[in-house]
Amino acid sequence: MNDTTAGYYRRSPLARTLAWFTAIAVVCLAFADIDITTVDPWAEFGRLALGLVTPDFTATENLLHAIAMTLAFALLGVSLSVVLGFALALVFHIALVRGFCAVVRAVHELFWALIFLQVFGLSPLTGILAIAIPYAGIVAKVFAEILEEADDRALRTLPPGTGRLSALLFVRLPDVWAHYKTYALYRLECGLRSSAVLGFVGLPTLGFHLETAFRQGNYAEAAALLYIFYVIIATQRLWARRQLLPLYLVAAAAILPWSSAISGANIARFFTADIVPFPLRNGEGLAGLLEWLHNLLIQQALPGTIATVQLTMIALLATGLLSALFFPLVSPVMFGRAGRTAGHVALVVIRSTPEYILAFVLLQLWGPSMLPAIVALALHNGGIIGHLVGRYTETLTLRDDAPRGLARYGYELLPRVYNGLLALLFYRWEIIMRETAILGILGIATLGFYVDSAFAELRFDRALVLIAITALLNIAIDMTSRRVRRHLRLRTTLEGR
Amino acid sequence: MQIRVMGIWLAAAILATAIFHVPQTQAAEDTFVFTAIPDQDEARLRSRFEKVAAYLSDELGVKVEYVPVKSYAAAVTAFRNDQVQLAWFGGLSGVQARRLVDGSQAIAQGVEDPDFVTYFIAHESTGLAESSEFPKEIAGKTFTFGSKGSTSGRLMPEFHIREQFGKAPEDVFSRVGFSGDHSRTIALVQSGAFEVGAVNYKVWANELNEGRIDPEKVRIIWRTPGYPDYQWSIRGDVDRRFGPEFIEKVKAALLSMDDPDLLASFPRAGFIPASNADYAPIEDTGKTIGILD
Amino acid sequence: MDIVALDGALAGYGDAPVLRDLNLKIRAGERIAIVGESGAGKTTLLRLLRERSTAPVALVPQDLGLVQALTVFHNVYMGRLDRHGLFTNLRNLVWPGRRESSAVRALLDEVRLSDKLFTPVGQLSGGQRQRVAVARALYADAAILVGDEPVSAVDDLQARDILDLLGARKETVILALHDRNLALGFADRIVGLRGGRIVLDRPAAELSPADLDPLYKP
Repeated sequence: MNDTTAGYYRRSPLARTLAWFTAIAVVCLAFADIDITTVDPWAEFGRLALGLVTPDFTATENLLHAIAMTLAFALLGVSLSVVLGFALALVFHIALVRGFCAVVRAVHELFWALIFLQVFGLSPLTGILAIAIPYAGIVAKVFAEILEEADDRALRTLPPGTGRLSALLFVRLPDVWAHYKTYALYRLECGLRSSAVLGFVGLPTLGFHLETAFRQGNYAEAAALLYIFYVIIATQRLWARRQLLPLYLVAAAAILPWSSAISGANIARFFTADIVPFPLRNGEGLAGLLEWLHNLLIQQALPGTIATVQLTMIALLATGLLSALFFPLVSPVMFGRAGRTAGHVALVVIRSTPEYILAFVLLQLWGPSMLPAIVALALHNGGIIGHLVGRYTETLTLRDDAPRGLARYGYELLPRVYNGLLALLFYRWEIIMRETAILGILGIATLGFYVDSAFAELRFDRALVLIAITALLNIAIDMTSRRVRRHLRLRTTLEGR
Repeated sequence: MQIRVMGIWLAAAILATAIFHVPQTQAAEDTFVFTAIPDQDEARLRSRFEKVAAYLSDELGVKVEYVPVKSYAAAVTAFRNDQVQLAWFGGLSGVQARRLVDGSQAIAQGVEDPDFVTYFIAHESTGLAESSEFPKEIAGKTFTFGSKGSTSGRLMPEFHIREQFGKAPEDVFSRVGFSGDHSRTIALVQSGAFEVGAVNYKVWANELNEGRIDPEKVRIIWRTPGYPDYQWSIRGDVDRRFGPEFIEKVKAALLSMDDPDLLASFPRAGFIPASNADYAPIEDTGKTIGILD
Repeated sequence: MDIVALDGALAGYGDAPVLRDLNLKIRAGERIAIVGESGAGKTTLLRLLRERSTAPVALVPQDLGLVQALTVFHNVYMGRLDRHGLFTNLRNLVWPGRRESSAVRALLDEVRLSDKLFTPVGQLSGGQRQRVAVARALYADAAILVGDEPVSAVDDLQARDILDLLGARKETVILALHDRNLALGFADRIVGLRGGRIVLDRPAAELSPADLDPLYKP
């Protein structure tokens, strides 16, 4: 039993799980539409490359306005989410709170934005809440996890009868405060990405102009906007200072155009009429509702869900493969300083580019199939995991006579990191799913495509049902991922979140 | 130390941007705001429409502002939520908008709009040539519409496709896409990314004039029968807000617009009166193909 | 034939030499035990010997250098990565070949681990892990073995068996050993370190455990 290779693989839970995931992904791939439909993608690619080396910073109208809005939405949205998330983390043991957080973070910020656009219009509240609400759910979860994993030895030394709040303030918070600050800073980076991407659905941020520039092939302008975006992200550690935060928040609040009216009637109408299924509004009763729901589920939700799951599973496998390929690029165990620097630059660029923008660019180049989405998701997430795993390998010391080259990678490096790599990969499974759904807005027939169509047809009742299905799917994946990680005893470190 | 100094400068720059930045989309109570659906090349859209805003402001004697939007649906939503009071809509988006806002009316349309046309265009590799009959040979090819909410790029071509084949477009073609706007549809068919597409004839003519169409690569294969399309729609409650007869004033201003530079933004030769009833065929078609409930 | 010849060599980390004035010649076929209290520089000397060796050396490092997530087979097979092409190595990583696994199993028999062939090293006890590291060195295609306390985690009886095995399988064996009796029983030459210098270098037959005491005195 124990001494055949096949027997070993049969008994290894890791090997079995991986085999399953690979098999599922391969089956999905077999049915996937991954054609390159553009006739001459390389000519377009050449124009893109030319644009990237000749950025035009003067082409965008109201560029400063877009930069200021991008920063303002991110700062206000993330700050609000950190405050809300912190409060929720303290009561995260309540099942209802956990459920609430799971639901709000299962809906992508772009979907939140599409909803709030209906309720608040182009008011600043739309952008701020679209970021703050899903982020609060994420922050609450991570803050609660940090709190849970904190060293509780000091807690046990407290005199019995110490109040919960006192214990929290004196023992637990000081312990986790540094982690919270680090994580909040990381969230701000994510918030900047989200803020930019919100422009794709009409908020006046960098994405607004980026979408136009890319769609119309103005690559020099697009490049300039991308570079500005990279600079904002790359210099974040320099300008995002705690002491300046109040000043930033005041400035952000001051420049947003608050005067655009928010009407109570609009809000009320959205909740009491818009999202009420059409047959009910139209007095068709339960029979009408069931038929409406049936049609919606069969014609849109089902194909959308299939495509979403299909794309997610392929992208997950591709992300795993790319992560394994990327991490040695930044590992001191594999490469010297010069090689590593090049690796770092490459990984910074691909992981700073929101996958939505990456997919958008590839879609313009290759045409609308699943291929651009797969590649975009794998590049972005592979870049993030590769970076984290590569950083981890800095702590490894190999024996003096360790093999070199590919044998070193295969026998020494990969086996030592693959548990960590898989933990990160499965952790990002849910994130990949969220992005997969949203890529539908770009024309890939995932759930996002049908959500976008429903918004385009101003059928918010349908949109809401489809968004709810997307959220359920996300929660299901989140739970599956947690089970898989527990089954394989994979642990995610703070950085991986 | 260097890094610290840099950080301080950066922070100062960010704050300065914020402080000296004058908000541009302040839509105060007394400002009359309009928008236009983003149906074609958006480059310099803002500066083009700001000229229109200046013209209207002069004519109407109130502050007029233009707000850019990203999609047809966003234009409709802004109109519905009273964030814009006037909008240059397509046939379908206008119907959608007016259904949602009681008392709103279509007041003006382009000279060309009562008899608007969609061109079906094809890449040269399909070997299709122009005919007066609906080209049934397009079945099985790849096909792109324009925006999901477009009349000329989606509603009318889908109507004719369903009528001719008795099936939904997804079942007729091997691949169906939504390019987003008419310029993009032309570019996609010209590059061969899609074999066939449906495009607004005004945008086609415009792009042809500007030399952006290569007749060797893409050609018209069918012209739809005429139908009513773009129009200016205005909310019914503006009279109360901006003074009596305001709708009439706006209508007069639009009808008397004759500066070719302003008209080129649409692009139209001029504007003529319109009414809600003119668009009943569009509403019927929307219901027929299931875009409207 | 000399395998290593040190003539007044220095060794150490960075600028501060741990060892100085090293004069040491090692001939093929010798069994050498390096003794001395901890911190005397045994590990440093072993490293120097490995670096200066004219022939390939198989190594049993003090921290074993095992990959916990891989199986015993893979860790032992690693001893011969340099003898196979990349393709063979990668194939054996994913799907161990019949020939390779039976060769490794035969070797594991001798260190009494044959039932653990496909057990991940992370699941083994300390003594078992040490035997895996020894097996890896035995599997390596090198006539010289350098070991840093290779039997510190196994019991006395097993330790003698393993040392005998090393002696039988490798032409030249150089070991750092803290156990004086084991050292005298195994080696035919004892090299004593103290204060960063070689203070003793005599045939084991001429020495008793008491002769080694000065090396450990404060």
